[in-house]
Amino acid sequence: MNPGLKLLLVMLIALEISFTQSLIVNVILIAVSLIYILLHRISFKALFALVFWPLFPALGLFVSQWLYGDAGIHFAWILFTRIYAYVFLGATFTLTSSITDLALTLEQDFRLPSKFAYGVLAAFNLMPKITEEIKIIKTSALMRGEALHFWSPELYFKAILSSIQWSQNLAEAMTSHGFVEDQDRTHYKIIKITTLDWALLIVLFAAVQAMLYFIRY
Amino acid sequence: MDNKVENHQQHQRQSAWNLRNIILIALIAIFCGIIFWGAGFLYTALTVALTPIGMAPAANDLLMGLWTMAGPLAGFVIRTYGSAFLGEFLGAAVEVFLGGQWGAGAFISGLVQGFGSELGFALTGYKHYDWIGLNASIFTTVVITFAWDIYKNGYGHFALPMIIGLFVIRYISTFVFGGLLTKAIVKLLNRSNAYNL
Repeated sequence: MNPGLKLLLVMLIALEISFTQSLIVNVILIAVSLIYILLHRISFKALFALVFWPLFPALGLFVSQWLYGDAGIHFAWILFTRIYAYVFLGATFTLTSSITDLALTLEQDFRLPSKFAYGVLAAFNLMPKITEEIKIIKTSALMRGEALHFWSPELYFKAILSSIQWSQNLAEAMTSHGFVEDQDRTHYKIIKITTLDWALLIVLFAAVQAMLYFIRY
Repeated sequence: MDNKVENHQQHQRQSAWNLRNIILIALIAIFCGIIFWGAGFLYTALTVALTPIGMAPAANDLLMGLWTMAGPLAGFVIRTYGSAFLGEFLGAAVEVFLGGQWGAGAFISGLVQGFGSELGFALTGYKHYDWIGLNASIFTTVVITFAWDIYKNGYGHFALPMIIGLFVIRYISTFVFGGLLTKAIVKLLNRSNAYNL
């Protein structure tokens, strides 16, 4: 499925189940997402992380609603499954789509200005370098006997200085490779939204509506 | 003549939303996203500690300020409409791609938090890049995100004192991280003349 439409569908459903209260629909969404992910052959480690880490917030919400909520244990279970529904719905997107394809389709099919699509993509591609840079900032501060934590203004200050410098360099590099803002582009890789994509979006979204309408528990 | 005026306006609009500034906002958001991701163990530890007494939602509120810091920071560095929203939203998107524990929920939280951040700057007409504007942004962030959690995390089903308690915790957290810490960072930036680089 087209990455842009897939993200749209995932966000629409996630937004909707934030307001609806159906335990069974939440479980169905988790199950369908899980099957979809398994069909794409993800690693056992990734699957374990998907199940394990959300357990903390889900359990936390469950216990607190159970002890102090006025809506009973059924509502506590809804919150518990809601967290997992978000995570598994999100995973159907993040584990099977690339951020590059997303940027390409947003630019080509959703009319996002190219400077946003490629600018943000360029920044996201620097993610490993940014992780490195944070380590460098912290280490060089340590060498001067200062420990920087997530509450230290200096850490963010230096991060912003690097950002200012890098953004200038990246923008200039892109311009010198022929990138011109707000000008029509030709594309090496063309991503289209097919009729099938639209049909899937409409059918799946309608199916969720029908389930939410008929399954009230 | 008319055409010229329009061109001029368009030029002014482009001057803020150019390629460099878009990359800059994205980079600031990613830096913040990665720093918070590193502090993710804190959230898990707090949740584990608070779950037995049923106060796990408080962990969410305690760290809210940290999660909503990218918005005001981006809003202060690139002083134009939309920058706080984009910064906050991208900051949340980073968490999704790093494999945070929220999944698609982080995208939606990012939209809500970004809207909250932006609203404060919008209400002050994008003119108050000072303590007033920052506090307006904090106020709208807290109110909007809390309203959202009343539905999403079921806060509406708690007793009133607990709801007020959670609100106060969230306000303090957002004030400390989004307010005091952001103010300290902006002060360092001002002293270094970094905006003119």
